[in-house]
Amino acid sequence: MKRALITGITGQDGSYLAELLLDKGYEVFGLVRRAATPSTERIDHILDRLTLITGEMTDQTSLIDAMQQSQAQEVYNLAAQSFVADSWIAPISTGDVDGLGVTRILEAIRRVKPEARFYQAATSEMYGKVHEIPQTETTPFHPRSPYGVAKVYGYYITLNYRESYGMHASNGILFNHESPRRGLEFVTRKITNQVARIKLGQASELRLGNLDAKRDWGFAGDYVEGMWRILQADAPDDYVLATGETHEVREFCEIAFSRVGLDYRDHVVLDPRFVRPAEVELLLGSPAKAKEKLGWEPKIGFRALVEMMVDADMERLSR
Amino acid sequence: MTRRALITGVAGQDGTYLTDLLVSKGYQVFGVLGPNPGAFLDRADGWDGAFVGVQADMTDAESLRAVVEQARPDEVYNFAGISSVGQSWTQAELVADVNGVGVVRLLEAIRDLAPGARFCQASSAEIFGRPSQVPQDENTPISPVSPYGDSKAYGHFVTTTYREAHGLHAGNAILYNHESPLRPVSFVTAKIADGAARIKLGLTGDLQLGNLDVRRDWGYAGDYVRAMWLMLQADTPGDFVVSTGVAHSVRQVCQFAFARVGLDYERYVHVNPEFFRPAEAEILVGDSAKARRDLGWEPQIGFDEVIGMMVDACLGRLAGASF
Repeated sequence: MKRALITGITGQDGSYLAELLLDKGYEVFGLVRRAATPSTERIDHILDRLTLITGEMTDQTSLIDAMQQSQAQEVYNLAAQSFVADSWIAPISTGDVDGLGVTRILEAIRRVKPEARFYQAATSEMYGKVHEIPQTETTPFHPRSPYGVAKVYGYYITLNYRESYGMHASNGILFNHESPRRGLEFVTRKITNQVARIKLGQASELRLGNLDAKRDWGFAGDYVEGMWRILQADAPDDYVLATGETHEVREFCEIAFSRVGLDYRDHVVLDPRFVRPAEVELLLGSPAKAKEKLGWEPKIGFRALVEMMVDADMERLSR
Repeated sequence: MTRRALITGVAGQDGTYLTDLLVSKGYQVFGVLGPNPGAFLDRADGWDGAFVGVQADMTDAESLRAVVEQARPDEVYNFAGISSVGQSWTQAELVADVNGVGVVRLLEAIRDLAPGARFCQASSAEIFGRPSQVPQDENTPISPVSPYGDSKAYGHFVTTTYREAHGLHAGNAILYNHESPLRPVSFVTAKIADGAARIKLGLTGDLQLGNLDVRRDWGYAGDYVRAMWLMLQADTPGDFVVSTGVAHSVRQVCQFAFARVGLDYERYVHVNPEFFRPAEAEILVGDSAKARRDLGWEPQIGFDEVIGMMVDACLGRLAGASF
């Protein structure tokens, strides 16, 4: 039986990936932070099939222990402070977890099980002030937030350990990927959750920063399948995972509100508090390489994604 | 009014040269000494009250806040860092904490306590690791090939981010190798100068080196700190390549150094594969046209002269030690 270790298993991607790997017959280990109130709501339904290991991305010893205990052949590093806005408030700890944390887990692998395959969750935020559209694996980086800077570091150190130590270490440069399990701090979930509340009479308005911001949004369930494929490839490499389509926040609102028979213009209020200090420009990824080399492509389209999220929030809030 | 500068990593080569320059211009200089100031303290004695040594650590945000508060600087130069590419392979985490996240800590302290201060980050040509073009300029894509280069890319990008997002007068000096008699022997130029001097004095018989064909764009530290000072005098902050534009090989360094003492390097230098790095940065040559145009800067000391200066200093030091 194959063994996999997922850091950040309690997050959106971690939970989808855990499901996928269990379906494929893996024994799945997950790194979780010690907390008085563990936030396992995304994995509660599979908890009895997982082995959770307590540890921290800021603590080298716990990562070595996690490798020793799991003896994982595949390691997926999804743990991160992943919210861009918070990285302005906590730029140092974002660097410690999202940047240095990658070095620590690579060192743990190198010491305990150097032949293990490693997946690093890189991000389109590394492109920030974009140098070309669409972005590919060869587009230069120009991050615009402490989060983006830390992720660029994580990307490079992964690349360096691959090239210098011959490790099977790969980066998946993921563009935005959403789902009903997205955290409420992200704009997509914030919209769909508020749409449901407005529809149910629990709220009347939705406050947003910038309706013109455009993103390449896919479905998280498709993207974790891309992660798995990256580690099944014979040679380690870096891949963009994206839909290749871009949509405005406005369009997201339109579809979400119309799903429940409302008009977004009646409810959306612009609020400058939600504007980022430095907005990234047009993030649009080209998934051509992943399609050609891995046979990967997203299955769920934009409209289906938005509707899935609204439906889930309606169902949850109606219960 | 007396201008005030804060220099982290002041006890290193660049900190020493910059303090000399700033003191000569009438600045009050606050310098973060670090754990092993060593011979620097003797030199600092000569600056009298124009220099104040302080303590802080790049991994400790509160200590950086304290020195920014104490110095109330008009200009901050971040020279603190672990500067050994070799060490970065064995202590990758520490190197990233100091060279990468350390810059975030310092920028946060400045943003909060001295937002009008101008900031110069000592970035490095190592961020180009495997350059897509030769020579490199400010627009060349960053692609480091060592944990050291990764950490410096971190500091570089975060400096740019704080300039663009918070409007700080913050810029990167993308420094190509720059040498002087203050270089420690962990650097290949100083190792060669030291080796040539020792062989000349009969203290040793040979010199073991790694890849002799590695080429670098080497300049003189005294010239490079002047470029960084000029950067902070410019109205608009920006990133500047600081380089000579000419690459020399390690082999040529050997030629210059041994010629200085009248010897033929080929008789003494041996290649030892143990000194090869896991991944070697390729041709790093900087195009400093922007600094020359916008700052009116150019290097004044030729590289053979720098190596000669270094060999002479080693000879003086080794001769002194034999008494």
